[in-house]
Amino acid sequence: MAVRPQNMHDGGIVERRLRPIYDWLDNGNNKKALQEAEKVLKKSPSLQAARALKALALFRLGKGAEAQSVLEALAQEKPCDDTTLQAMTISYRESQQFHKVCALYEAAVKVEPTSEELYSHLFMSYVRVGDFRSQQRVAMALYKFAPKNPYYFWAVMSIVLQAKTTDDPTKKGILLTLAQRMVDNFISENKMEAEQEARLYVMILELQEKWTDILRFIEGPLYSQLVPGSTAQASIPYLKKLGDWRRLNLVCKELLFDNQDRWDYYLPYLDSVFKLMDNTDSDNDSSVDDTAEKCHEFICQLVESMSSGRTLRGPYLARLELWKRLSVHGDPTSLLGSGVALCIQYLRVFANKPCAVPDLKPYLAIIPQKEREEHCRDFLTCLGFDENSEPESPDDIQRHISCLCAWQLTSPVRTGEEYLMIASLLRYQYLRCVNKKLITATLTEFCAADGYGTLAAHFYFYAAVQQQSATPILEALSLLELVLHNSPSNFHAKLLLITLYHVLGNGPAADSVYRRLEAKHVQLLSLGWIHAARLAPGLAHTRALRLLADTHAFHKHHGKDCMEHLTYAYKYGTFEKLLELREWGARLEACAWCSLAGRERALLPLLAGPTAPMHAPHPLPDPLTDNRDLNAIVSWEQPQYIDPGMKERSFEHDVAYLRLKDGIVSCIALCIECADNRSLEEKKVQLDEMQTCIEAFSSAMEKCKEKYSGKQRLCLTTPFPSRIIAFVNSPVPYRELYVLMVSVVRAVCAGDGPASRDRGASLRPLLADSREHLAAAVHTDLWAQRETLEFFSNYLEFIGVITFLLGVCHEVTAQNNTKKSKRKTNQSPDQILTTQMLSVLNDDVQEIVAFLEEIFENWPNFDYNNSLEEQMTELDINNKYQCPVKQKLKEGIQEIVTEVKTMLKKKSKYLKSLQ
Amino acid sequence: MTTIRPFTCEDMLYFNNVNLDPLTETYGLSFYTQYLAHWPEYFQVAESPSGEIMGYIMGKAEGHGENWHGHVTALTVSPDYRRLGLAATLMNILEEVSEKKKAYFVDLFVRVSNKVAINMYKNLGYIVYRTVLEYYSGDPDEDAYDMRKACSRDISKKSVIPLAHPVRPEDVD
Repeated sequence: MAVRPQNMHDGGIVERRLRPIYDWLDNGNNKKALQEAEKVLKKSPSLQAARALKALALFRLGKGAEAQSVLEALAQEKPCDDTTLQAMTISYRESQQFHKVCALYEAAVKVEPTSEELYSHLFMSYVRVGDFRSQQRVAMALYKFAPKNPYYFWAVMSIVLQAKTTDDPTKKGILLTLAQRMVDNFISENKMEAEQEARLYVMILELQEKWTDILRFIEGPLYSQLVPGSTAQASIPYLKKLGDWRRLNLVCKELLFDNQDRWDYYLPYLDSVFKLMDNTDSDNDSSVDDTAEKCHEFICQLVESMSSGRTLRGPYLARLELWKRLSVHGDPTSLLGSGVALCIQYLRVFANKPCAVPDLKPYLAIIPQKEREEHCRDFLTCLGFDENSEPESPDDIQRHISCLCAWQLTSPVRTGEEYLMIASLLRYQYLRCVNKKLITATLTEFCAADGYGTLAAHFYFYAAVQQQSATPILEALSLLELVLHNSPSNFHAKLLLITLYHVLGNGPAADSVYRRLEAKHVQLLSLGWIHAARLAPGLAHTRALRLLADTHAFHKHHGKDCMEHLTYAYKYGTFEKLLELREWGARLEACAWCSLAGRERALLPLLAGPTAPMHAPHPLPDPLTDNRDLNAIVSWEQPQYIDPGMKERSFEHDVAYLRLKDGIVSCIALCIECADNRSLEEKKVQLDEMQTCIEAFSSAMEKCKEKYSGKQRLCLTTPFPSRIIAFVNSPVPYRELYVLMVSVVRAVCAGDGPASRDRGASLRPLLADSREHLAAAVHTDLWAQRETLEFFSNYLEFIGVITFLLGVCHEVTAQNNTKKSKRKTNQSPDQILTTQMLSVLNDDVQEIVAFLEEIFENWPNFDYNNSLEEQMTELDINNKYQCPVKQKLKEGIQEIVTEVKTMLKKKSKYLKSLQ
Repeated sequence: MTTIRPFTCEDMLYFNNVNLDPLTETYGLSFYTQYLAHWPEYFQVAESPSGEIMGYIMGKAEGHGENWHGHVTALTVSPDYRRLGLAATLMNILEEVSEKKKAYFVDLFVRVSNKVAINMYKNLGYIVYRTVLEYYSGDPDEDAYDMRKACSRDISKKSVIPLAHPVRPEDVD
């Protein structure tokens, strides 16, 4: 953040002296800035602005205590010049001491009680801490000596916010009445002058559910003067609220005549028609559409009235929507014909647009499954195509693809063989286009024919799932790489490639494509599930850590920005965005994926390097928010497969998993805290907390095992089965392993020798047993690799934790030694026994590590061959294209195995060093 | 078939099918929230009946005196929803807002290589007002056309008399 105040232009000597300090601070050279500030202070030691800047430089140099004392001394002097105050504000903001800014400006306005600028800053300082009452007080004080509209409405908005956040309905009512009265007074004095002020007034009335008053206001002269030309549209929601269906009907019709493509007018129009249909007392006003027939008539009129130019989807989709709504109550066919016929009609008109079939999806789903399946071929053939047609123009290619998509969506479930057959047909279609130079994609635009390739990938995937075989996935990958090679901007192909590489458990290969997506900022949240979240269970730890760090940095950064934009919203009077910005900030703050990223960032390094310090993350927010975009990958599965509860359920799974991970991280953090040489009494609180933590983890594991035992279907477009499934259902007893190991540490920290030995003794056989499970987990089938890697990721994570905790125990016992004497022999007999137990446990872990090393040393080799190149040769396609799939997969798995082996070597070295 | 509504913060989570397009930049959060806080009426989204984001426009009003104008900061439509007239609809909204704000003209910058977009803007009544040299950094840097369309307030259409010479980015106000 630039430090220099924007309006600093007094041009005087002070400014000249301070300029170099600002320059250094803005360039990030805080050391120089400090030196420069010292220099200025030598000449004029009492110059407040220079001292404030010195404090800021100190803060940024990590000298918090020194900075704090400079700031405190300054604050005592109650500074009121802008330069000093701004610099101090930045220091406080950067050190998260927002409340001190309020106190600073409170003191300043006492010195200069009529400074508009100081009062505005004071107001904004309360905005940053969310103190709405103080906001109100300051805004009113400001308005008293500077009667400007914005200040008045700052006060009104501050009252609205108090009303919004109170749980007490009486108080809420009083506050809203007050807010309304304040605006009413303003209106009666003819002082309202901005659109946003009018909108705030509507907001206040809305919170009081005064729909009639809102309509009266919206339809009045003031509103149309402040917000010209939007009265009709603005009245829609309130006519709905009031149930004034006749007027709503007329308003929407009027709007639709001029805007035949506006879905947001069709929906309330149809709402009104159906409400009026239910109403038995008919009236004579023929302009109101109160029957399905009249409604249909109106829609047909719109279709006909479309000028010769572009054909709009609006009226056609409105007809489908009418059909859908009619079919809820009865049989719409007498009026509109069959749903199949309507959908086919739509396809006939719009099949040359990629959005045609996505548009149809909700309506296809309403057609009874049997009827849909009986007519599935009609969708394929309605434009004269079949699966073997060979269209050549881009429009015809898109039409063909739309028909193929509609055919898939309506067809009965096929066998793996059938899926494979269609997939190779589609692949042939794509290669035909390559051969005939029909691929018209450029660096920045993709082309219709790409659709053959991406659709084929879906079919290959369906076949792979049915046959439980990786071979079709290899075909899909090779074809998609070719599509991407020819059409480098096609993100559908990229998203499919990423997912399919992950289906084979190959994070590094997926990463090669992910990087080409250039996903950043908020996309790290919304698309994290597609790639970043899959790297750790795929054992691609280094790559996982890199993306987790990006995600974490984004998450940490956004909070500050959000706060600043709240102050903008006041500055520009955009009151309706204030609440939204606040909620957005809170939503991101509580992001479940970011919380998991924080835990993973703490746990993964334990495995990567034993001496890594642990980043203990902030406590888990509650409730957590789901910020995944699960519509990023287009789905072509039949409607009966669309699971409306999927998003919610998978989020529930993820949150349950996150809580388990949080339990583990919290236990480890407590272990670290207790591993010092304080007395037992001093540690008691943490030791108790640790016990609670262990018990909570243990019972959560138990509950999750009961709750999340079912096997989940693998789907191309949605998250893979949550990691909780593999974790709690593993043959390796993680609950016992973690609980016992943390209990060992707890007992060691508490100096309870017998307990630590008892837990250690229970742990040993479990460790020994896990060998058997590890050996059984290795599969030579490529299809199983993803699950195998996930199985090992859970075990390796435990190895990371137990190794780290053995290190913690070692530290504790070593402290005991040094306390009394350097010589080991001075340990008490009890301590000697504990040290021996730890040493034996250490041996056990080393043995397991050696066992794991052997497993990864002999990791199976897979056959990554596919038939694409063969077919390309057959078709005589020679575009010097070399399929990268085989190499990517080979190198990817090699990277994983090498990385794991290196980590295991480090573990074993570290464990030895503890003995 | 379109719902036009104000862009909201949440839309940032779901605009991937628009923003993964290589010519559409995904900015830091604060870029979007700043526009939302300052010019919410200029930030509109086109949504499909199934709730998917088909495209959006973001803009602002700026300038003094006769230079008071609407500016298109970003206009983008998902590849799956192109050739439906969406960009024109969104531009129309921005022009309407600029009219309401009594702007003299609307302007925008476009890569000189982006023929499709330039043509579309020309069809909507925009003219190339001037060339801005090396406006887009990259390898190599690329020039921009500064395109304009006069609003009704500019009765004499003074704002759309093209400049004869190109300008440097630092001379663009």
